[in-house]
Amino acid sequence: MSELLNTLMQDARVWQGHRHVQTTQTAEPTGYQVLDNQLGGLGWPRGALSECLLDAPGIGELHLLLPLMQRVCAEGRTVFWLNPPHTPYAPALARAGVNLDQVVLIQTEDEGDFLWTLENCLRSPVTGLVVAWPGKLASREVRRLQLAAEAGSNVCVLFRERRYAEQNSPAALRLELEPDEQQALKVNVLKRRGSWPGQRCSLAMAQRADLSFRETTRIVRGPWSGSTG
Amino acid sequence: MLWLYLHFPHLLLDHIRRSREDQGALVIVEGSGQRVIQACPEARTQGIRTGMRLKTAISLAPDLGMVRADASREAGILEDQARWLYRYAAHIVLVPPDGMLAEVGSLQKLYGGLPAVWQTVEQGLNERQLNAWIGIGYTPLAARLIARAGKGECTSDKGHIQRALSQMPLLAAEFDEKACTRLQRLGLNTLGEVFDLPPGELARRLSPELLAYIQKIQGTRPDPRTPWQPPHSFRQQADFVQEIEHTQGLLFPLQRMLTELEEDLCWRQQDTDSLRLVLKHRHSEPTRLHIRTSGPEHRADNFLNLIRLRLEQHSLQAPVISLTLSVKRFLSREAPSGQDLLGETQDLNEAWHTLISRLQARLGAKALRQLSPQADHRPERAWSASEVLRKNGTALKPGTELPRRPLWLLKGPQPLTEAPVAWFAGPERISGGWWDGQRVHRDYYIAQLNSGQLAWVFRDAREGWFVHGWFG
Repeated sequence: MSELLNTLMQDARVWQGHRHVQTTQTAEPTGYQVLDNQLGGLGWPRGALSECLLDAPGIGELHLLLPLMQRVCAEGRTVFWLNPPHTPYAPALARAGVNLDQVVLIQTEDEGDFLWTLENCLRSPVTGLVVAWPGKLASREVRRLQLAAEAGSNVCVLFRERRYAEQNSPAALRLELEPDEQQALKVNVLKRRGSWPGQRCSLAMAQRADLSFRETTRIVRGPWSGSTG
Repeated sequence: MLWLYLHFPHLLLDHIRRSREDQGALVIVEGSGQRVIQACPEARTQGIRTGMRLKTAISLAPDLGMVRADASREAGILEDQARWLYRYAAHIVLVPPDGMLAEVGSLQKLYGGLPAVWQTVEQGLNERQLNAWIGIGYTPLAARLIARAGKGECTSDKGHIQRALSQMPLLAAEFDEKACTRLQRLGLNTLGEVFDLPPGELARRLSPELLAYIQKIQGTRPDPRTPWQPPHSFRQQADFVQEIEHTQGLLFPLQRMLTELEEDLCWRQQDTDSLRLVLKHRHSEPTRLHIRTSGPEHRADNFLNLIRLRLEQHSLQAPVISLTLSVKRFLSREAPSGQDLLGETQDLNEAWHTLISRLQARLGAKALRQLSPQADHRPERAWSASEVLRKNGTALKPGTELPRRPLWLLKGPQPLTEAPVAWFAGPERISGGWWDGQRVHRDYYIAQLNSGQLAWVFRDAREGWFVHGWFG
């Protein structure tokens, strides 16, 4: 019994407010030093779910995952995109150095298929990363996915709407994403295993459209003449 | 040449019994449906005999399973048997409706004697739950007569075989009725007595055909037979006495068929990636299922899992009366690569194929897509989705020569409803498609919307503004 308790403590499954425990869980660096520091030097947890909560696409949410995606593809493991809201644009991914042979796009029709597919991808040794847009998920289903994620040792990132931030979730890492000044991405850590949440940081994401600060100041007026024409 | 004859006294009965989970009494009735012509042991213990009227049989066993004899079906089943026998013997001759010949004289050295050959064949029969009577003779007809009389012995002694033939009564020797009566009137009762007659007299008094038949038994007249050639496809059928209503009931016969497929593929040293299942119904059109694996496969378990997944998705429209499994596409087998001597590294290639096959079986092949860039200036044509294929090695070099593009492309351009708060880059003019009628003439800009989203917007020739992508 005490062994079981020890495991719980060491894996930071039981949250202890009075002291910070260095967890032994494995993780993949995010590729952003600032964010890694906020996450206790770890990054995306492996064998657990991560959630990214955001309102609308186009704020740099994919760029947050690009370094990991590049690394996974280079290792020869597969990246699954499950029910993305738009088409991942192949020329842009190729330009970013993602090996498209390792990218598999899956569209499922109903929720049952979605969960089944995600579970199967998570359990397979060929998977490196699963990126999924689940839509509505019951807490019980997130739990089921969390168990599937633990069975494999892959990174799984779910993109959900920001209103789910209030709802609790068994995911090991929860990040709230918001746009920030100068096309940066504001990351708010809602939950992470083994430590206090509430860290905030801002990641520069202007490079996603090849914008540098110099350029942003230069172009002030677009072709738009005053009001919508 | 030494011939081995296999006589299947009730092939159709055996064939149907082995696809059944419950072992109830079962009989085969003749085409007109009047008489029992084959009865299984369970039926026989209940008092049913062959030749009995069907009405009598039903009154003896009310829950009797009945199957009508069908010559074409039996021929198909017989051919299935030739298929496995072909692994042991090269020269096989089919003798419809219920017999098969194999030349075994040349196999003795390979197997280490005739008893070993005999044993191999018997083992093959047992594995397939078939009953057959075996006979050995120096001519095809001699082997057939001995087998059908049930007097087969594992010996290649000429004298012994000759004695067995000589003692055979005329009726067992398969003479036609007229010849039989005439021989009996001459006071001849066994085949040996007929052999002793001078051939010239026999031909003159009876008929030249009868002489030819007798000489073929004895081996003094050639009796050439065309050898059977195995077809280049795999086909197996299971027929059910009771209609099967649940998919679960199909898995039992499928398991046996898939095991035979695995064995067949093993002997061919080939793999396959597509199976065809045809489920026949009594009153409606047959259901055809096409099961595909993403890579070469030969293991029965994997096939069964895929079929199970597929059947879970598609419930049966109507009860099934027969099931056919066929494979037409064969791929040569490759040696597993990328595995070290101790097998410590997991074979990822195989795991990849297993996963993709599973997903495709449940979601349909169209649900899985792979992306690739295409050489076209128009954004909606600069990419394509194709079926998932495993490609090895060839890591893509980062295409820095490609222009800057957003990571998200909308399924179609969406009208821009608000004025962007900031403009960054542009215009980039994309004009093309005059060659195929899909004309595109647009000026693209990068702009930030009020919500903080970075959008790829364009103005078309008619001054309309649209969002075409997000810089995710």
